Amino acid sequence: MDIKIDPIKCIACCACELACGYHWDDAMSPITSSIIVYRTREKKNYFGLMLKTEENLVLARPEGIEIQRIGEVQEGVEADPSAKPIMLRDACDMCDGVDGPLCVRFCPTGALYL
Amino acid sequence: MGNLTNETILIVDLASGETYKEDIDEEFYESHIGGVRINLALFEKYQEEDPIILGTGLLTGTLVPGSALGIVTAKSPQTGKVCHAPICIYGGMELKYAGFDFVVIKGISPNPVYLWLHDEVADINDAVDLMGKDSWATTDELRKSLGEDIIQVLNIGPAGERQSDLAQIILNYWATGDRWGFGKLLGQKNVKAIALRGMGIFDLEDEEGFVDACADLFKAFKDEPSLSGKKGIIDIAAAMGEDITDWLSPIIHRHSADYNCPYPINTFVKYNEDPTILKETDVAETGFYLTDIYGLLEFKKMGLSAEDSCRMLEACAREGINAVAAADLLRKTGKTALNDLKQAVSGLTGPIESPEDSVFSPWSPKQPLFVDFGLPDDGSRNSEWWVRRQAVAYLFGIHPIFILMAPMLTEEKLINAVNLGTGLNITADTVDEAIKKVCG
Repeated sequence: MDIKIDPIKCIACCACELACGYHWDDAMSPITSSIIVYRTREKKNYFGLMLKTEENLVLARPEGIEIQRIGEVQEGVEADPSAKPIMLRDACDMCDGVDGPLCVRFCPTGALYL
Repeated sequence: MGNLTNETILIVDLASGETYKEDIDEEFYESHIGGVRINLALFEKYQEEDPIILGTGLLTGTLVPGSALGIVTAKSPQTGKVCHAPICIYGGMELKYAGFDFVVIKGISPNPVYLWLHDEVADINDAVDLMGKDSWATTDELRKSLGEDIIQVLNIGPAGERQSDLAQIILNYWATGDRWGFGKLLGQKNVKAIALRGMGIFDLEDEEGFVDACADLFKAFKDEPSLSGKKGIIDIAAAMGEDITDWLSPIIHRHSADYNCPYPINTFVKYNEDPTILKETDVAETGFYLTDIYGLLEFKKMGLSAEDSCRMLEACAREGINAVAAADLLRKTGKTALNDLKQAVSGLTGPIESPEDSVFSPWSPKQPLFVDFGLPDDGSRNSEWWVRRQAVAYLFGIHPIFILMAPMLTEEKLINAVNLGTGLNITADTVDEAIKKVCG
């Protein structure tokens, strides 16, 4: 089972980042999150989500989903709005041992679902 | 870092160009809780040096829904009273993650400067090259020079530089809830901008207990039938009795949220390209992000189209002025053509009607939104209820509009979240005392 993304439902609240960060760090911080709200195009209101899984980097843009295989991620892909690039972070483990992925649990709009 | 806090106050002495930090101990949090109460205590401590205080709540930037709020406290040039303005979107959160729970900005800089607060480091940098730039250009320039596009930039436009009473602190490109003329104060201090970015991490006393409490609050919000399907500024206006659906809908692009707010309070409109386009285009400036419901409604009242109203809000934000006051003054000029109105923005002066007698910004609608909160239908208790809800929001770090639609965020639940997260023993009596002090 994978986390699915409906990017149009995303409201860029970043709850998923914080919930995922808690899973990795047992603290409040988005810095190690396996999911990132891509929000570097503020004046254009262009935002979406990036999710690193064991095999793929999922780029959920408003116009659609693109999946790039880990190891084949395009050079210079706009995946690094953070001081800690997503490719250096742990892959999503579906919150192993927890009652459902926390990002799905905290997503208020259903943009993330199973 | 401590539980839900950096335990740090930053003091910025503009006159000497020095910065230093002070620790906050547990007892101070237990007696003052945080947010607006500590802002006020810091203002009183440094009041001889005419300070501007930036602050956050213990819940700012956490998983508690609505945790977006940062607070600016200063003596308003408009009212002469100590007042508080909200900083939302990602601004409040970024202040805390930059490593500073509170910032005291005191004195006057001899030269134009901007503050760069990042990863527990505070720099006072030369801002000569930024002077004269509007808020959009200022934000673009700082993000470019500092190297990251999600740096949050509190800034003043030309209005703040010339110390206009209308001057508003802008967040990045967008209007804030500063109805108090705090932009003028930054101009007087020769501070063009405050740039924020950080990688903070905040420990929790009871990790599972805190996160479960947050999840329960999220679930309660999602399950609230009165909120089902509601989003953006149109539905907030409707709750206020203003039907702007047909007027605004043709230019709406998307709705989006402030940090960790389950309701998308803000609405982006596009008028420089087709608003239905989802793919990124080469158009650099596509429209405007509506963060000020009253500002929008004021321009609508002038008889402007939705597009022209939003273009006027953009003009106000670029100039760095309070759109509500601007609309009031522009109405008196008798001008109606968009270009005439836009040209008038930069030279706008005149007496401003002071906001009502509250220390909290009237940017938040003065009523419950979508849910009645058990208040009488005649609105007779709305004012008293609103002040208490705002005080709670500003105390804990909750978005002051979101709290008007979130009955699940009871004072008891917020106290419980703070205590679970911090290990403190905050009580309802402490909250009452803090609110009494803040509200006078």
